[in-house]
Amino acid sequence: MNRRYLLSSLLSVVLAFIVFPAATHAKDIVVGTSVALTGKYARTGQEQLQGFQMWVDEVNARGGLLGQQVKLVHYDDESKPETGAKLYEKLITDDKVDLLIGPYSSDVTMAASTVAEKHNMPMVSSGASASEIWERGYKNTFGLYTLAEIYMDQILELGKAKGLKKIALVYENTAFPRGVASGVKTKAKQLGMQIVFEEEYGKASTDFSSMIIKIKAKKADMVIGGSYLPDSTAFMRQAKENRLYAKIFAFAVGPGLPDFGQNLGLDAEGVMGNTQWEPTLKLPGAKEFGEKYKAKYGHEPGYHAGGGYGAGYVLEAAVKKAGATDRDKVRAALFALDTVNAFGRFKVDATGKQIGKPAYAVQWLGGERHVVLPAEAATAKVAYPFKDWGKR
Amino acid sequence: MDLLEPDILLQLLIGGLLAGMLYALLACGLNLVFGVMRVINLAHAELMLVGAFGAYVLFTVFGLHPLLSLLIIVPLLFIAGYYLQSVLIERVVGRPMLTSLLATYGVSIILINVGLLLFSADFKAIPALQGSFLIGELAISKPRATAGAISLLLTVGVYLFLERSRLGKAIRAVSEHAQVAAICGIDVRKIRMLTFGMAAAMAGAAGVMLSVIYSFWPGSGVDFIQKCFAIIIIGGMGNFLGAFYGGILLGVVEAFVGGFASTQWAEAVAYLLLVTVLLIRPTGLKGVARV
Amino acid sequence: MSNGLQRLNGRWVSAVLVTFVLLAPLMINDYHQSFLLQVFMVIALAQAWNLISGMTGYVSFGHAAFFGVGAYAGALFLTWGFPWWLAVMKGAGIAALLAVPLGFLTLRLRGPYFAIAMLGLNEVGRVVATLWVDVTRGGTGLTLSPELLPSLDVKYFTMFGLALGATLLVAWVHRSRFGLELRAIREDEEAAEMVGVNTTLNKVIAFVLSAVIPGAVGAVYVMYTSYINPASAFEHARNIEMIVVVLFGGSGTVWGPILGAGTVMVLRELLWAQFPSAHLAALGVLLLVVVLYLPGGLISILRARQQKRPDARPGESP
Repeated sequence: MNRRYLLSSLLSVVLAFIVFPAATHAKDIVVGTSVALTGKYARTGQEQLQGFQMWVDEVNARGGLLGQQVKLVHYDDESKPETGAKLYEKLITDDKVDLLIGPYSSDVTMAASTVAEKHNMPMVSSGASASEIWERGYKNTFGLYTLAEIYMDQILELGKAKGLKKIALVYENTAFPRGVASGVKTKAKQLGMQIVFEEEYGKASTDFSSMIIKIKAKKADMVIGGSYLPDSTAFMRQAKENRLYAKIFAFAVGPGLPDFGQNLGLDAEGVMGNTQWEPTLKLPGAKEFGEKYKAKYGHEPGYHAGGGYGAGYVLEAAVKKAGATDRDKVRAALFALDTVNAFGRFKVDATGKQIGKPAYAVQWLGGERHVVLPAEAATAKVAYPFKDWGKR
Repeated sequence: MDLLEPDILLQLLIGGLLAGMLYALLACGLNLVFGVMRVINLAHAELMLVGAFGAYVLFTVFGLHPLLSLLIIVPLLFIAGYYLQSVLIERVVGRPMLTSLLATYGVSIILINVGLLLFSADFKAIPALQGSFLIGELAISKPRATAGAISLLLTVGVYLFLERSRLGKAIRAVSEHAQVAAICGIDVRKIRMLTFGMAAAMAGAAGVMLSVIYSFWPGSGVDFIQKCFAIIIIGGMGNFLGAFYGGILLGVVEAFVGGFASTQWAEAVAYLLLVTVLLIRPTGLKGVARV
Repeated sequence: MSNGLQRLNGRWVSAVLVTFVLLAPLMINDYHQSFLLQVFMVIALAQAWNLISGMTGYVSFGHAAFFGVGAYAGALFLTWGFPWWLAVMKGAGIAALLAVPLGFLTLRLRGPYFAIAMLGLNEVGRVVATLWVDVTRGGTGLTLSPELLPSLDVKYFTMFGLALGATLLVAWVHRSRFGLELRAIREDEEAAEMVGVNTTLNKVIAFVLSAVIPGAVGAVYVMYTSYINPASAFEHARNIEMIVVVLFGGSGTVWGPILGAGTVMVLRELLWAQFPSAHLAALGVLLLVVVLYLPGGLISILRARQQKRPDARPGESP
């Protein structure tokens, strides 16, 4: 008796779960995204989400998209590609969102874009830049960011101009850092510079001391890191502890965030990095966005927030151009779009890869982050060389 | 190759020794528990992280320097360990080792995920000690040197306690032969609680030291527990000095592998050692395993 | 309740469940179908774990290693152009191939050391996947293009087939002489040896069988997520789920893992999107509850009213 009862109640619970109808959104346009809110990419993911949220607020204040209010559904992919894949599956098949925005980081985007492609639903990706995302023949991923491979080009040219020859290259073993690294290797070869040290490290690696000791032995002139925030911060800290010196230190992602300067204090002085965008750039709406963001969140936006914001505007432009949220129409619109918003120019090639937007280099000077390259967009002059640890 | 220059090798060696001292402190604690009650505490590394996060909270909320928080964390974790023993571990002491392994596995899962709920998975770090000591060309990281020195002091302190003090001798008596120790009038249950408390305190201290050197998150313990297993299986389960030397050895091996191969290989050393020893040389362990 | 009526209940319940499963794709949406797919996956993995850990008493803390191997093998064979069912077979095959020597080596170790060795092997699997960059692309992982993948229905039924197969296997072993010998090993290995049971061969066979299923499941899983990397292939959570599902349901039994899987999956679905850590924390609590208070699992509560069958006692021995 007991057993049958138990089993049939279990059955009913399971059945109830299955048959329970999913909530429908008849009036709102629902945009879905998953972003790293915890895990290694948490800070950058949060910034991206916040930037995007600002677009949502702005568009709704203007009367919505196509006359309908925009609703944002978001989840935390924990910086893990497999979680991201599952969440995009959920967004598309369970939450049945109308529009998709990509996650943060190239590796999570790799997984998420496959899901989007499987369901043939276009996804606007603001947080990813590794070329390989667009080398798979997919038709549904549209990138905002300048490609990872050219991130360090200007910094390498700077090094060449100063007569530097030896480069130490370290990077995380995932899609984006590998993209940066491959770009560095190509450019270095072009410029006749030599990679004297190269090593990959894991996503969870936090101890770089052996690597740093080896770089010291090689006496590199430039140290370049294909990194995110936690690793670039830890590396600089350990570089100081081991008295690693180079004339140029440059990292991906990390130096583009206010946290980098906050966490390292004086040790961040002179560190260079790439950036996709800065609030000081002369782009329509960039300054206003910067001020609004600072008023709301207490600090200036970095390029991740800018990217989130820009993604919203790209989505808006595409939907307006298409006149509907129908997948095929939006996709066609995204391919044809050539527009400039607060984040920069958006124009993609036939694979969805971004080709209209340039890259910039930043440097931490006097406790602030400044655009230093290219000269036209610079807010400060490049400080060269990196000041030695003992002389600060 | 430039790597074979003596000062580079020396730098790697020192780094390895300092890291090894931290490992030794952690492994000796785990070993102590095993010796006294034949319990393999899979949650040991999570106890360490409790110490690390405790130091983090004290630092960020109260601005307390980690070395000072040692004074709070160590006794707190001793008490926590003491009570964890009486509430939980006592129930699985007499039973087959696998039961205690499963129970402590459960505790470790709970601790990790509560940690994730409280602190999320981002890396945390305590930038309290920075920079390095310069000895000629040699730069010795201040946080590592401090952590290494304190770990060493604590481990030696525990060793001396076990060797010289009456209580320490009682503990050793129980690990050698619990029944005889009971007959001699030793309160075996109290000794077990004391031991677990000590091990938890040692883990907590190791955690505070950890927080000063590395970035950590609630999942960091997984790597450390494997390192501990590798250390005590190689050093001999139940053998305090074995765990001590084993810990230092692992630190040095990791540093050199990192230097000559890569960081990722260094991170794999403990797992590879553990599995190789267990799979290739079980006969040496079967004797111990027959408990 | 007598044996006869009990068997009738079991058959009735199974028939209802199987019918529901077969008809479900017509009634429910993709997302819920995926949910069921994951339930089948958990059941299949749990039964496989049950085969080695529940029946022989050699409790493995790292069986997800075989899942990971199968996942990578499946992904690689798919990218090399093999049809999906062949990729699944390859996944299972490679897992089995590895299980043979590993079985001989690890099963020499007693209880907790076997557990720790398996835990270590799971990590070694992860390390190999990370460092063997030429094949596995290391930390970046592998993505599978949609055109390589079979449809959701195909994956759904394949996973169901694996869950069903695993359950039937456990049921068959339970009743066979092989199962009797395994239980003898669980109760007292030396005595079993003395009575003439070839303990080594039996253990290894059980081990290999328990590796084949996760290998196949891993390959199907990777076709479902279309992405694999070392961290997700050799995930700790999977190990934890295998252990808790079986122990909580009732190890060494046929229905135990199914009950346990149902409970854990409902828990997971309620929590995973919003509170992923809460789900795992709950599993930890369940594990403690089982170890301290309920070594027989849920099944033992249900069986409390029935006469005790001597060979139905679940194992938790060294």
